[in-house]
Amino acid sequence: MQLRSILLLAIFLLLLPVSCSQKAGEGKKVLHFVTWKPNIPEAWEEIFALFERENPDIDLDVQIGPHSSTAFHDMLTQKLKNRSTDVDVFLMDVIWPPEFAAAGWAMPLDDIFKDREEFLEGTILANTYKGRIYGIPLFIDSGVLYYRKDLLERYGYSPPRTWEEMVAQAERIVEEERKRGVEIYGFSGQFKQYEGLVCDMMEYILSNGGYLVEDGRVGIAEEEALEAVRFVRDRIIGKVAPRGVLTYQEPESLDLFIQGKAVFHRNWPYAWNVANNPERSRIAGKVGIAVLPHFEGGRSFSALGGWQVGISRFSRNREEAVRFATFLTSERVQKILALKAGRAPTRKALYDDPEVLKANPHFATMKDVFLTAYPRPRSPLYPAISNILQRYFSRVISDPSSDIRAEAQEAAREIERVLSLVKE
Amino acid sequence: MRLDRERIFAYSLLLPCFAFVFLFAFFPIAYSFYLSLHRIVIGLPALGERFVGLENYLALLHDRVAMKALLNTLVFVAVSTALEITFGTVLALVVHQRFRARGLVRAAILVPWAIPTVVSSQMWRFIFNDKYGLVNLLLYGPDVSSYRAWLADPFWAFVAIIVADVWKTSSFAGLLVLAGLQTIPDEVREAALIDGAGRWQRFWRITFPMIRPAILVAILFRTMDAFRVFDLVFVMTQGGPADATNVLQFYGYKKIFAEGLMGYGSAVSVLVFGVSFIMAMAYIRVLGRRLFQ
Repeated sequence: MQLRSILLLAIFLLLLPVSCSQKAGEGKKVLHFVTWKPNIPEAWEEIFALFERENPDIDLDVQIGPHSSTAFHDMLTQKLKNRSTDVDVFLMDVIWPPEFAAAGWAMPLDDIFKDREEFLEGTILANTYKGRIYGIPLFIDSGVLYYRKDLLERYGYSPPRTWEEMVAQAERIVEEERKRGVEIYGFSGQFKQYEGLVCDMMEYILSNGGYLVEDGRVGIAEEEALEAVRFVRDRIIGKVAPRGVLTYQEPESLDLFIQGKAVFHRNWPYAWNVANNPERSRIAGKVGIAVLPHFEGGRSFSALGGWQVGISRFSRNREEAVRFATFLTSERVQKILALKAGRAPTRKALYDDPEVLKANPHFATMKDVFLTAYPRPRSPLYPAISNILQRYFSRVISDPSSDIRAEAQEAAREIERVLSLVKE
Repeated sequence: MRLDRERIFAYSLLLPCFAFVFLFAFFPIAYSFYLSLHRIVIGLPALGERFVGLENYLALLHDRVAMKALLNTLVFVAVSTALEITFGTVLALVVHQRFRARGLVRAAILVPWAIPTVVSSQMWRFIFNDKYGLVNLLLYGPDVSSYRAWLADPFWAFVAIIVADVWKTSSFAGLLVLAGLQTIPDEVREAALIDGAGRWQRFWRITFPMIRPAILVAILFRTMDAFRVFDLVFVMTQGGPADATNVLQFYGYKKIFAEGLMGYGSAVSVLVFGVSFIMAMAYIRVLGRRLFQ
């Protein structure tokens, strides 16, 4: 392993001068944009082509990282830590701005980002750290519940308001469908040990009146949170959802749903377009969308997700970077993303745009969800907190005999230790 | 005078090698050790690099996730090495026989070893997939309802990692054993035949003692390599479910690159280095005189 990395490094060093000299040429400026592997590449390619057409002096170099937010974070921060000039503009998950700001990686954008009141408030808040703004919101995500309209109608159900209702409906539908010879599961979601697990679990905990971390206090070992986690372990995993969800991120869980193998499905807004695309989905036209359920006595919460455009402090092409970041978050590009990729805009005005609403009729009902979507704990040390949470959730939900309370207390202590670092 | 010039010449030849080893081996190890004595959080440059002595190491001792990862790593090393040496020896004995297309078979056996680990891990991840994986198809055929999510089960996920490693590196162990087999002179075997030794006797009394040094070398390589397992876990399970497949190297990686805890992660790396170093020393002690002189 070590020997291999040494060899690789040596080869890399030898090739370095060659690759550098290759990039210059034609007098064009090369702008490096770091993004992840998109679900619907055509929409992004259209946007990149449009930018290059309108900015003939810029050559866009799109670097595609992993789809998983955690893996993408590892790759991007590695580059920024090394002050790489290979990064000009990058995408930031909604949880990163405090970290990127505190570490001095993201450039403050107060001077160039003026029309902030045009955006949804939650997304601006997520990009603000100690009074300065570090990212321009590109699209917003929040957890929503998808369901099989046809199946719910067949059995006379309306979309469930509580988690208990959802489980009851799912159990009955699965049983009846099985009698008809149709193999189907009740629910699919994201329960692998990764960032998405924190989002999914947070929605259960908050909708039972619990919290994760609030004002420096850790809430995962409190009764409401424990109850919600116990519900997921005992009623969801291996029950209405197949055990396989413990290995699922968004794409795998969506696959199950669009193959017609799940009654209910928790995902982000992008899944709407995929599920209704007859080329990819077997259930196109049979999909319903609703606000996530809550527990009896609680109210619905969905995790605030979404991506921001940031500019590296080490960029050598600031002027071009600003031009691209502004272009990418402009109304017309957000509209393309809404129409072609199903991404929910961060600009409020687009929710009244007839074309956007025609392509995404669910946006009208979702606007309230987007307005109240709840952020994950905001801290420059969020990655460390998230890893502790991921480990805790994965540990207790994948083992039916786990001692949830003891594990929660242990995880809470670990998070408190991390939080104490920031206080010093 | 002449001697001196010769000596200078010798040193100048050695110098690049020393510089290389210093730059790429000693310096990183020493620097990791230096980092491990400090509290450094990448996301919080304002904290600076505070010297905390052995604090990180003390915390590591009480870190149950790290201790579990250490245990996982040791189990992984023991089981995978044992299986790889066994299969490797069998493979070597087979391809040592004379038969048609032997060269082709020898080359074919090395294919798994030649595939980059990242690629083969990805392949095994698909093979163990709960919906369209080959393992489920072979075990349950078209009966989709009894398909299992292998990688979602703490025990089977660990088994899956071992299977992937054994598949990939048995042939490497086999290659080393084969080299040992080829050093056995034919006369010894012929003499045993004339003395009326059976197959089993010939293997345990002649072949095995003579390939033992090769097997020991294979064990040495495999344990050291298995102890630093990373890519398999990274691709197949990311340490999950519930840390069942978390190994020490992956844990250290997570600490540094995902959580930004540079000092603490370095302490994990130093632990990995320390254990490998002790193992290497032990091997040299045990096998030393015979093999390394």
